[in-house]
Formats: sequence, structure tokens, C-alpha cells
Amino acid sequence: MAQEQKPPEVPTVTYTVKAGHASNPQTLEVHAAQGDLKPWDLDSKLRVVKGRQPRLDGKYKVTGRAKYTFDVNVPGMLWGKMVRASVPAGQITKIDTSKAEALSGVKAVWTSEGRTVRFAGQDVAAVAAVSPEVAEDAARLVQVTYDEASFVTDLEKAMADDAPLVYEPDKIPGPKEIPRKGNVLGPKPPGRGGSRGDVEKGFADAAVTIQQTYSVPTHTHSPLETHGVVAKWEGDQLTVWASTQGVFTVRDGMAEALGIDRKNVNVITEHMGGGFGSKLAPSASGTAFAVVACKLAKQAGAPVKLMLDRQEEHLCTGNAPSALMTVKIGAARDGTFTALHYRSFGSAGIAGGAGTGGPAGSLHGKNPNLKIEEHDVFTNAGPAAPLRAPGHPQGAFALESAVDELADRLGLDPLEVRRKNEASPVRLIQYDIGAKAIGWERRNKKPGETAGPRKRGIGMANGNWYVIARGSGVGAEVRIHRDGSVEYFSGAQDIGTGFRTAMAMVVAEELGLKATDIKPNVGDSRWPEGPGSGGSNTTNSVAPAVRLAAHDARMKLFAVAAPMLGAKPEDLDAADGKLFVSASPGKSVAFKAAAAKMGGETISAVAQRKKQFETYRQDLAGCQFAEVEVDTQTGLVRVVKMVSVNDCGFPINTLTTESQIIGAMIQGVSWALFENRVLDRNVGTMVNPNLESYKVLLSKDMFEAVPIVTEIANAGNNTSAAGIGEPCIVPALGAVANAVFNATGARVRTLPITPDRVLAALAEARRS
Amino acid sequence: MAHPSEQDEDEAGRGVSRRTFLKTAGVGAAASSLAGVALPAAGAKVLGPGPASLTLKVNGAARTVNVEPRVTLLRALRNHLDLTGAKEICDRGACGGCTVLLDGEPVASCLMLAADAEGHEITTVEGLGTPDAMSPVQAAFVEADALQCGFCTPGFVVASTALLRKNANPSLEEVKDGLAGNICRCGTYSRVFEAVQRAAKAMPRPAAKRG
Repeated sequence: MAQEQKPPEVPTVTYTVKAGHASNPQTLEVHAAQGDLKPWDLDSKLRVVKGRQPRLDGKYKVTGRAKYTFDVNVPGMLWGKMVRASVPAGQITKIDTSKAEALSGVKAVWTSEGRTVRFAGQDVAAVAAVSPEVAEDAARLVQVTYDEASFVTDLEKAMADDAPLVYEPDKIPGPKEIPRKGNVLGPKPPGRGGSRGDVEKGFADAAVTIQQTYSVPTHTHSPLETHGVVAKWEGDQLTVWASTQGVFTVRDGMAEALGIDRKNVNVITEHMGGGFGSKLAPSASGTAFAVVACKLAKQAGAPVKLMLDRQEEHLCTGNAPSALMTVKIGAARDGTFTALHYRSFGSAGIAGGAGTGGPAGSLHGKNPNLKIEEHDVFTNAGPAAPLRAPGHPQGAFALESAVDELADRLGLDPLEVRRKNEASPVRLIQYDIGAKAIGWERRNKKPGETAGPRKRGIGMANGNWYVIARGSGVGAEVRIHRDGSVEYFSGAQDIGTGFRTAMAMVVAEELGLKATDIKPNVGDSRWPEGPGSGGSNTTNSVAPAVRLAAHDARMKLFAVAAPMLGAKPEDLDAADGKLFVSASPGKSVAFKAAAAKMGGETISAVAQRKKQFETYRQDLAGCQFAEVEVDTQTGLVRVVKMVSVNDCGFPINTLTTESQIIGAMIQGVSWALFENRVLDRNVGTMVNPNLESYKVLLSKDMFEAVPIVTEIANAGNNTSAAGIGEPCIVPALGAVANAVFNATGARVRTLPITPDRVLAALAEARRS
Repeated sequence: MAHPSEQDEDEAGRGVSRRTFLKTAGVGAAASSLAGVALPAAGAKVLGPGPASLTLKVNGAARTVNVEPRVTLLRALRNHLDLTGAKEICDRGACGGCTVLLDGEPVASCLMLAADAEGHEITTVEGLGTPDAMSPVQAAFVEADALQCGFCTPGFVVASTALLRKNANPSLEEVKDGLAGNICRCGTYSRVFEAVQRAAKAMPRPAAKRG
């Protein structure tokens, strides 16, 4: 597939672009809505975009001046604290808040109307008081009585016929047409993974078939800034400072929940301390805390800050579903896939959405016979939320482990098996780059062949993601002031990706300035609408609107400068802080001098994102290579080096793009080796709701991380940018697991790869 | 109903309450609250349960806060002095996000009572530099992009500063050791290490190699 054709619905303009990777350029015709600009492509001479710009807000973050929601203190502010269900299932029979209300310093109390408890950590009550300490005291004084019911927290136990039911059959969330039995919903129709061909025939044609089951536990997002808001009423006007990935989602959600008009709600997210997908809801997946904070503030007649604590963050703000995945691959003797049957069960707690089959469609892009079956299993645990490429790291772990097992069975180089089955021209380029960077030839030709107890190995795995963007309802504004200063406005939030800086680079590119000349204004619902930051879509959605606004401002300034240069506006260009005649660059005027001549004080340009109809590819390719050292006496795995090769279209800011890729490798290794939410099967509460026994990767576990961006002119919008946050974490789990196999000859199919599992796998390998 | 801390009044009278703070002279900062609760010392001063006036020397200036004795140094800084650089992340000493310098030593300010910090020099990330005059460590963090969401960054900056004051030219392994108590969830460790080593090169070398 070179490009996807869709019939244009609006008047369009056609551009011919040089798309793809520089090593394999392709000429494409793309259609964009009238008025859109030609996409930046392989021929574009970009001065700022694709460069390495330290983030503009860095100086505020490193000096402690950046104000996150948790840091917002407003006069007269009270402190909110939630009370959460201490049991995993049952009915609330009584909530007694009398002692809390009587406590000096308590100004407001809220109780939940819901009485059915389905997980330990559910909203029950809340208080607002004059200090966090008094609020904590008051929360402890709320007495809740339960009529407890039987429950189930374990995925496989919940699948049993006699398991306690999390939902009565008619209350299971999910479409009615999907089969359901007990706590199991499915098989669901395949999502992005798709099904095609005839798998029975494909397996019959196969020379070799492998089938294995893999499992991944539940992870929690654990952003370092917990979920929280500061809610302040002034009459019927509500201001909410929110630690969110979607200021407009919070605006709309608060308006709906409180029965007020959207225009009366203003949401501000100046800086945000991590979300990873958990902060896409108006409050969060398992709590209505933000709405509660607004209600407490109204009741108390004072602003309320309600930040969740670390335990609550683990319990009720989302998690990545567990997954139990059975992969069956049929292949010819040379490794060519003939069929894939992928069957997964997973638990998103009390929520649906535990599918993991997504990567199959891309990673088996040339496999003619695919059958994908996904099942949700309900358990008495907090509802999941999207976590960085939801379902994909888990699915890719299973799929890519299985390919590795297939290659081993056939005695083939696992990278060659992937090349043979590769559908993406981008990934074919990435294989060469990654193999060279890790030194693929250094791997054990026979797994585990290194002498001695400490064994090294190298493995690799693939991942995929999608070009996702909000095509309409996204705006931006660029202002040039008479003094020559420039600022831009986008309501969308910077969740730590460097969005704010990247958009300044886009403005700077159009205006011939430096990124540091541009004042960014982001994260405020009073400014032009932007998307929630999910699906790796923020830059992709907003950058084209920012570029259009900047281009409009540029043309308005050119109209001012043209008479000064004795030229026509369309004959001008801008670079290095000057406006000049393209044909004779010596004829120039300083940007500031031109701005000083404007009529009025400000040139303002507002633009809306325009629809575009094709892109070089709709899927984003990526692969990762890992080198590990395994101590076969203790079972301890250490990642030595990791190389991540990724496509994100054009990276707007290569420096911060690389940081996201490094971060994905780290979070991926953390999932592969350490992270595991543990629920006590006897009492149904979380055993490790903290940051020391919910173990995450730390400095001492750190490895050499090599991020490599394969720049792809995807021409999917006028900047050719796509997303990076999610695609780069998808291959990580498989890459580490396959490296452990290459080091030891022992296969660990259950994550995390803890020492006990390594030792058990070694014992198993010795037996067979 | 009465304030819950008054429930401990009897105990408080004996100076052994959980909710009141017992200050003992001459006990080191890190261990004082534990040592104090376990063994009331002669001449101990009992604070609370109501708010007590404390004088904290923060970033070179004497600041007065009126806080309940149970208030941690972290919350005194954040909620009473609006110094919000140090972050409350785990609230139990596991993440390093609340790190401040106490007489030059990095401490978890969430594990220390504000009352225990009286008489000590407290330096927060705000005291190390300003946006327009960043310290070498802060500037190196920006340049190396050693931050993403930035919520852990103040803790890393303070811990890195403390490390470089003790070891002006740390090896990569020494940097990892020095930052072993700090969590970054966005995953920026390698660029933090790079920033610390860049800062080491940028900083003037003290005469003594190790402090």
C-alpha cells in the first residue's frame, strides 16, 4: 500500500510530494482541503523543524518555578480528601459522616449515591478542610458499613464457571451482541488486528506450527503527579486547574456532570506531571474525584484542591489490563507465515477493553490467514485506562516471542524470518539500521552458547502504531506584536512530550525566527481547541493548524514589508530574523523593523486544521533490539543496551522525540522485568500500592539507550508529523524476552521476567 | 467533636504522643524524630497539638511558619511558604521527588517534620538558581533534555547538586549511585546522567576532590 485513497468530500487542492524515507523516496499526489499548505517533504529545506531544540519550559522546570496543578495554591483554598471502599465487593449499608462533619476545620462533606461496590478503592465519600492534615483526619473519621459479597481478583479464577460474578449478566459493560458467560465477554469482533483468509487451510499448508501461551500482569500508570484538580467558583463561573491530558475533555465533563454550560467552565493545565493515558477522562476511569472537588468547592464556598495520594493513584485511576495470550503460527520451512490464530483473555478489572490483538494486523501484514479473538474478563479490580499504546505492548510481546520461537524451531535467524514476512517498507529500512546499531552479528547463533554463568544475549522485536489525528475542530492562533515579539496559542496541553516547544518550532519555521523567539501559550480551554493527548495525536493534530496560522501571520507581515522592499508580498521569504526578496536575498528588512510598521498593535492569525486525504502510510513502524546479561545462578536479568528504531513521520523536535523514545525503552524494560500490580486474592485489596514494592526501573537498573528516528515524509498533513509517544513502547517487552532467550536458551513466557521465573525456565530448558 | 489530635492530650502531656513532636537538643536531623519519640530526653520541648510558630532558614532567609507540629518539612515548604519546587509524589521516602538540602545534605523532606528543620540551613531547588540564572546543573539538565514532564526534575537537580559537591567528577556508575533514590517515570535517566556529567565539566573544580 503506497497510499490510501478516500474520496474528497470538500474542495481540494492537489500537491505532488516526495514522500517516504530518504533512502527510498516515492512521489505521491496528495489532496488537501482548499487553503491547506503543501506538506513538508523530502525536498523541503527546513531550518528549525527537525532540529534539536531544548524545551522552552525547561528553565522553569529545573528551577522549581513551573506550576503544576499540585502546586497551585489560591487564596482561601481548602484541601479535599476522598474516602474509598475498603472492600472489593458488596453493598454499602451506611456512610456515617457525623464525626467528620463535627471535626474543627471541616468545611464540606460529600457522599456517593452509589451503593454497589465492585472494587476496593471505589469512591465512597469526600471531605474538604482547612489543611491537608485535617482533611486526612476527617477522611479517617468517615465510617462506612458494608454488606460484603464474594469477589474474584485473579484473571484465570474469574474465567472459571463457578467464579463469583463481578456483574449480573445483564449489567456487563459491552455490546449486547457479543457472547458472554460468567465473567467472560467475547470473542469480540477483531479490532485493528483484523481477521482474514482461512486459518484452517493455512495451518494445513504449514510445514511447521508452533503454539504457546504468554501472560502479562496488570501495570499501573503511576504518573509522578497524581490525578488532581483545584476547583474555584466565582458566581456561576468555574475554573479548574487539572492534571489532565485533555483540558477540553475536563471542560466538557465538568459541564455535563454539574449541569452547567461549557462556556462557564475554564480548565487550565500549564504543566502536567505525567499521565501515560490515565488522564484522558474528565476525572479518571475509576473515580469522579474532579466532579467531587467542584461540588465540595460549591458547598464550602471556597476553592478546593483535591489531589489523590499515591495509593489512590494505583487503585482507581486506571491500569493496563492483564493479558493471557495464546499464539499459534503456521509457517513454511523458510519461515514464511501461512496462518496466525491469536486468542487473548485479559482483565481490565470492572471495565472492558482488554484486547491485545491490535498488532497482529501490522506485524502479520503479509500473512494471508488471520484469526483474532479477544475476550474481556471482569474481575473485582479498578477499571483500566489506556496505557501507552493500549494492548499493543502485550500483544506484540506474545506475537514477537512466538516468531522468535518459530525461528528457533526452524533454525533460522529471527531477523531473517521477520524480513521474509515484512509488509512495511519502513520496517525493512529499520531492520538494517537497528541490526547495525546493536551489532546483531554478535548474538548467540545457538541460544545460551556463551560459556560461564553470566550469559549475554541479543534479541529483537517489532511494534506498530497508527497515524492518528483529529482532523477537524482543532485550531491555533499566532500573534505578531508591533514590538516584534511573537506568541502562539493552543488550548491543548503539554503532558511532558515537548509539545509546547515543538509548536514554537513550527511557528519559527514559518516566520524565519528561532524557537526561542516564540512565546508559547498552551493548556487553557479559553484558547483554540485541541485534542486530548491520546493515540499519539497531539502534535499530529495541532501542528498543521499552528503552521497554517503562522503562515497566515507571515503573509500578513509580508504585506507590511513588501512596500519597504519594493516587492510583492508573494515574492518574499523569511529567515534568520529577516524578511527578504527570494530572488535577491540582499534586499531585506529585519523582522522587528517590519513589525514596527504594522497598522495597529497586533497581527493576529487564527487557523483551523484542514482535512487531508492521503498519507504515505497509515501505520507507524518500529523495532527494538536488546542486549541483556543473565546471571544463570541467581536468575537476575540486566539489560545492557537497547536500540529503538522508530517512525514518527517528521520529528518536529528531534531532541525531545528522542527523549520520548528513551523513555519508552525504559518504561518497556520496567514492564518486562519489574512491574506487577499484586492484588491479595483473599481480601481483594492491592498489596503494593506505592512506589517501592510496585517496583519501577531506577537509575541502578539503567542501560545504554540508543534512540534512532527514521524520518519519514508521510505527507499525512502539512507538517508530515505523526506521533511517537506510543509506537516506541510496543516492541520493548518482546525484545527483552527474546534477548533473555538468546542469552540462556530458556524461554520466559510470563512477565515480569523475575529471577525465579528465569531459574524455572532454565530448569525447564535443561529437562527438555 | 474535638480535634482528633486532642485525643492524644494525655500522652502529649508525657511527651510521647504520635501526634505531637518532641524536640531534643543536639540530635541529628535525620534521626531526631524517631529518637525523640522512643526516649524523651531531659530538657525536651513539647510542641502542639495546636499550631506552633517555627522559624525555618530557607534559601538563606529566615521564614516563619505557623504549622501543626505534625506538618512535614515538605508540606511546610509547599503549603505554607509556596515553595512548590519540591514535590509530594510517594510521601514515604521512596521516590526522591521531595529532596532538599539540609546543611548541604540531601534529605527526603516528606520524611522530616518541619519542626526538626529549625536551626538548619534548608536549600530547595528554587535556591539553587532562577530561570534567568540557572546553576550549572540546572542549565545542563535543560541542554541535555534531561526532563520530560519535569515533575521529578527538582528532586533530581537537588540530588545531582549534592552529588557533585561531594564528587566533582563522578563516573557513570557513581552518578547512578548518587541518583539511586530518585524515580523518573517518563524515563529520562540516561539524559540525566549525561546532564550531571556535563555539569561536572562546566563547574569550577574545588581544590579538595571529595568532601
